[in-house]
Amino acid sequence: MLHIYCPFCREERDEEEFSYAGEAHIQRPLDPESLSDEEWGDYLFFRTNAKGIHHEMWYHIAGCRRYFNVTRDTLSYQILESYLISQQPGVRAKQTASAEQGEQPNAN
Amino acid sequence: MSSSIETPLHYFHGQQTGSGDAQVTIFESPLCGHLNLRGNPQDEQFLEGVESVVGVKPPTTAGSCASSGDISIYWLGPDEWLLLLPESRRAEVESELRNKLSGHFSVVDVSGGQTLLNVRGDGVADMLKKSASYDFHSNNFPAGRCVQTHFAKATALVSKKDDGSFDLVIRRSFADYLASWLLDAGEEFGCRVVGGGEV
Amino acid sequence: MQTNRVASGGRINRGNAVNFTFNGKAYQGFAGDTLAAALLANGVDIVGRSFKYGRPRGIVGHGAEEPNAIVQLGSGAQTVPNLRATQVELYEGLEAHSVGGWPSVDFDVREVLGFMGKMMPPGFYYKTFMRPQNLWHFYERWIRKAAGLGKAPLESDPDCYDKLNQNCDVLVVGAGPAGLAAASAAARAGARVIIADEQQEFGGSLLASQQQIDGQPAMSWVDERLAELGNNDNVMLLPRSTVFGYYDHNFLGILERRTDHLGISSPGQVRQRMHRVRAKQVVLATGAIERPLVFANNDLPGVMMASSVSTYLNRYGVAAGNNLVLFTTNDNAYQTAIDWHKAGRKVVKIVDSRPEPTGALVNTAREFGIDVMAGHVVVEAKGRRRVKGAMVAPLNDNASAVAGAAIRLDCDLLACSGGWSPAIHLSSHTGAKPQWNDELVGFVPGESKQQERSAGSAKGAYSLAGCLQQGDEAGREAARKAGLDGESTAASYQVDEQPQQPQQAMFLVPHAKSTSRAPVQFVDFQLDVTAAAIELAAREGYESVEHVKRYTAMGFGTDQGKLGNINGMAILARALGRGIPETGTTIFRPSYTPTTFGAIAGRDVADLFDPERYTAMQRWHQQQGAEFENVGQWKRPWYYPKPGETMHDAVNRECLAVRNSVGMLDASTLGKIDIQGPDAGEFLNRMYTNAYAKLAPGKCRYGLMLKEDGMIFDDGVTACLGPNHYLMFTTTGGAAAVLAWLELWQQTEWPELQVYFTSVTDHWATATVTGPNARKVIEKVCDDIDLSNEAFPFMDWRDATVAGVSARIFRISFTGELSLEVNVPAHHGRYVWEKLVEAGEEFGITPYGTETMHVLRAEKGFIIVGQDTDGSMTPADMGMNWVVSQKKEFSFIGKRSLSRSDMLREDRKQLVGLKTRDPQDVLPEGAQIVNQPEHAPPVPMQGHVTSSYYSANLGHSIALAVVKGGHKRMGETVYCPLADGRVIEAEIVSSIFYDPKGERQNV
Repeated sequence: MLHIYCPFCREERDEEEFSYAGEAHIQRPLDPESLSDEEWGDYLFFRTNAKGIHHEMWYHIAGCRRYFNVTRDTLSYQILESYLISQQPGVRAKQTASAEQGEQPNAN
Repeated sequence: MSSSIETPLHYFHGQQTGSGDAQVTIFESPLCGHLNLRGNPQDEQFLEGVESVVGVKPPTTAGSCASSGDISIYWLGPDEWLLLLPESRRAEVESELRNKLSGHFSVVDVSGGQTLLNVRGDGVADMLKKSASYDFHSNNFPAGRCVQTHFAKATALVSKKDDGSFDLVIRRSFADYLASWLLDAGEEFGCRVVGGGEV
Repeated sequence: MQTNRVASGGRINRGNAVNFTFNGKAYQGFAGDTLAAALLANGVDIVGRSFKYGRPRGIVGHGAEEPNAIVQLGSGAQTVPNLRATQVELYEGLEAHSVGGWPSVDFDVREVLGFMGKMMPPGFYYKTFMRPQNLWHFYERWIRKAAGLGKAPLESDPDCYDKLNQNCDVLVVGAGPAGLAAASAAARAGARVIIADEQQEFGGSLLASQQQIDGQPAMSWVDERLAELGNNDNVMLLPRSTVFGYYDHNFLGILERRTDHLGISSPGQVRQRMHRVRAKQVVLATGAIERPLVFANNDLPGVMMASSVSTYLNRYGVAAGNNLVLFTTNDNAYQTAIDWHKAGRKVVKIVDSRPEPTGALVNTAREFGIDVMAGHVVVEAKGRRRVKGAMVAPLNDNASAVAGAAIRLDCDLLACSGGWSPAIHLSSHTGAKPQWNDELVGFVPGESKQQERSAGSAKGAYSLAGCLQQGDEAGREAARKAGLDGESTAASYQVDEQPQQPQQAMFLVPHAKSTSRAPVQFVDFQLDVTAAAIELAAREGYESVEHVKRYTAMGFGTDQGKLGNINGMAILARALGRGIPETGTTIFRPSYTPTTFGAIAGRDVADLFDPERYTAMQRWHQQQGAEFENVGQWKRPWYYPKPGETMHDAVNRECLAVRNSVGMLDASTLGKIDIQGPDAGEFLNRMYTNAYAKLAPGKCRYGLMLKEDGMIFDDGVTACLGPNHYLMFTTTGGAAAVLAWLELWQQTEWPELQVYFTSVTDHWATATVTGPNARKVIEKVCDDIDLSNEAFPFMDWRDATVAGVSARIFRISFTGELSLEVNVPAHHGRYVWEKLVEAGEEFGITPYGTETMHVLRAEKGFIIVGQDTDGSMTPADMGMNWVVSQKKEFSFIGKRSLSRSDMLREDRKQLVGLKTRDPQDVLPEGAQIVNQPEHAPPVPMQGHVTSSYYSANLGHSIALAVVKGGHKRMGETVYCPLADGRVIEAEIVSSIFYDPKGERQNV
């Protein structure tokens, strides 16, 4: 069971307190009506399905009811960081090697 | 009108599991006022506005609670708090908050939807361990802390009192389930539910 | 007669005789025995029959690795299958039966069935049972019988189990020398420590050791550590506790057997407890498992692991035979011959594969006058029901073949040691890849993937001094990494130990004949996998060790190949002409040993399996004899049968009462969300398909919520409570999802919108009073507002006092009748409900349940999200475009999707009504709809029935269905072919069957 750092509660909690809320950093188009069916379909249905570093949203449903972002390695399940919805990730796919050397995966 | 009131664990009062003296007592408070408060913790006016009504600022440290007189205020989230107070003061505090606060805030009466339990006794630490994965060891969870967490297959707001006992705020619709759960989990220690009478 | 019990010694209580039965025969052992020890003491050679070949099998090991002595305890409801006799503590009255060599039901029965068929040669199942496929069930029964599976109890388990969640700084797995040293070190550093060991006593290998630590017997050192740890409030000692799995983020499972040593069942106590541990740091001190030697007939009873022979002798005072031949590839096992000699029994010979063994223990053995045959191996065991002799032959120079004739040594006990395999199972669970170590001749834990480290023989340290030192270091490191700064100094434990010579790698003992022609050489005892089978698999083209595992079933038993795997992989590697590291090993997975379902379930059973949510009126419903329906986790009254009534009768009565006079429904379960903030109106505008910004205080509006893909997600009424203040009703089942949905958009997409959401579902109790007489009922208990249609019209709400309680009344309707929904804080719920019942008495007010609610709304063609919709239905499909606003400036959630090309297809499934030709026929919900029932298969499907009832008000059945292009097919005839062969004919009609103009709710 994952142990997820909630940046609002400021501690790690068991996975069962959270629900997964899909890939992070997908912005809703500002003017949906101006998009072609294909563009709209891309926004609706297409996700990166990353092997390795993945940025995703979690909802602390049994706790503070806040959404936040997590960078997780989909291979090892290691969680590399938790950060606010308004923030950009500190760890990105190409930086994997250096990130994994860190001792505290949930340092925020 | 008091006879019209049933607290969520009304039908559990006096129930007991296990043999011998109950080592765990679950005390259900009489009907309390529960107010859910939302507002911006960075807004000093908001914090002071609340303080002017309840006597203390809403705690902005995650997982902490504060109290003033007969009002306690629990951190639920970065912009969300629970006020627990005597039911007799609920309406007055609610309307005073509305008067004193301005801008974007919300005050919602949720008194009917939840109930306050106090759980104490020798078996309490193990009973909590049976119910939640959260670490309630005093190193991690000293008096004055509160946490909303997964509890059995429901949720609870748990806080640690100065006397070492624990307060639980649980939702009404899950109250039957949680009372049954706690009585079952407490069977090995002996566990009893006590009602606080009526207001 | 305990013929094999030696006169003294061991950690048993000879003053406490314990009676037990094995396969129906009575025996006696002593308190402190395991079942295996007691069976050996009684001279029981055969404890089971092998899985494939039915060969007699005896006890081989002394712990979790035991492959043969698998027993079923007890009988009836109180029975436990597939336990290892080596781990069963003896208790008075214990009743055990062999289950054959076949393991367990463990976790996944399908997996068991999958490889069950692999009988005889590897791949037997694939080769034999594949065709015809439909005969598999016949084969399966036969194979099950032949294999002698343990029996699962058929009755409910009378025992109680539970789970404890634990948090600690350091979890130490294993309480042998390394584990105890680690726990002591971590505890001294101030850590919260849990130390778990699967045995009843802590000490691990020291329990059967003759060695000394700090100048005193090893067990005195153990006692000191236990006293030290036991006095520390931050330390939890868990004996009889198996750490069975190591999961993500340092989460581990421990199965604690609390009463299994007392009897088969202990009602009233917690029999087993699952500890769900979140540890900051873990020390794996799981020890090592001695490796068998693979030679001909090595499965005969009386062939045992050398360390097991010593353990039975030293710890239990049991000599498992008289005349011992020790067959070894290493120095370590010499201790067994020395122990045996000291016990006054005869050591026939030590057979050592190494050409020139000269280690300290070797010399000691020689000093005792024990004869060592160096450069020799046991090529074959002789005997039928027990070993009678060992055929010994010299090895050639590179140990690849026998180099001379075999001679026979008479013996009744053949102790073997092929070296040790570190118990790397838990380390493997973390995903760490085992590393082959040539010097240790074994796999050691790979690079840590989690916050863990191994210590002691689990890491390949086979000297006692090494175990103690590694344990101490690991404990200190773990505490430090758990964040405890209290620097603790290294402990110094003194052990007098002599260095050992290198062991020889020997995975398959040569025989004069080839592997395929020699008598069977067993690799995996539990599943009867032979060296020849592994070589055959390689010849048949299997190269990957994971494939060979599945083909031969090697390591698939409940023992997970604890004894056999390394030999098997090495044999495969040789057959493939590769090295062991390239061939690799299979990955161990949880559970380390089988875990009972009871412990996995814990207290989440029976009534507590899933929460039951009740409204404030639950007790009243129960007292009225209501039948209940599950809606999500809620229990909702389904219908209220009167004495003698069927469900059909009751529902018809309830339906008629609502349309003709007045009924009352407990609607408390509907989700309710309080919404406040300056941007609340704008936010609702974005979430709902219709407009909300201009909804005035006191007014209600029905809305549809879509997912961004345009599909209906939820529906309900939202009321404007005041400026910037709304109350949203959701479906009962959708409440949590809708709240999460609102929060998602506000928090992640539009944080600039100032709006707060608070669930008030539980705060309100709701009594829906509905029917032509509804107003008359309310008037009797509410006199502070004007209830007339003019003053309080449909789709308005009012604050009011009902039966003296402050309430909100909503004029919204799900029945199509005049409806007044009375909401009061839930602690007044039952009181107000009963007052309304009282007030309604003169009108025959009838409580009704969800079934009647469904019928009444279907008469009106009102949809139920999740019943008439399934996540692929748009508002247009439901004929609900009237609730979709195209005028709103903001492109509400889902709007853009509604104009995608697929949404505009004319042949989408659309909601219609169905009227059966025979008005008494009630279509089954889910029935498929076709145009031509005689059409040759495959018959084109036109849609399906979503809701179907008998309407007492209309006197005929009604159904809602989704039919391709249905809106334009009014009057057409369609057919529903049923599973029972009947074909029901129906006409497509409007989905509104009753009061199509909607007049009755407006009065």
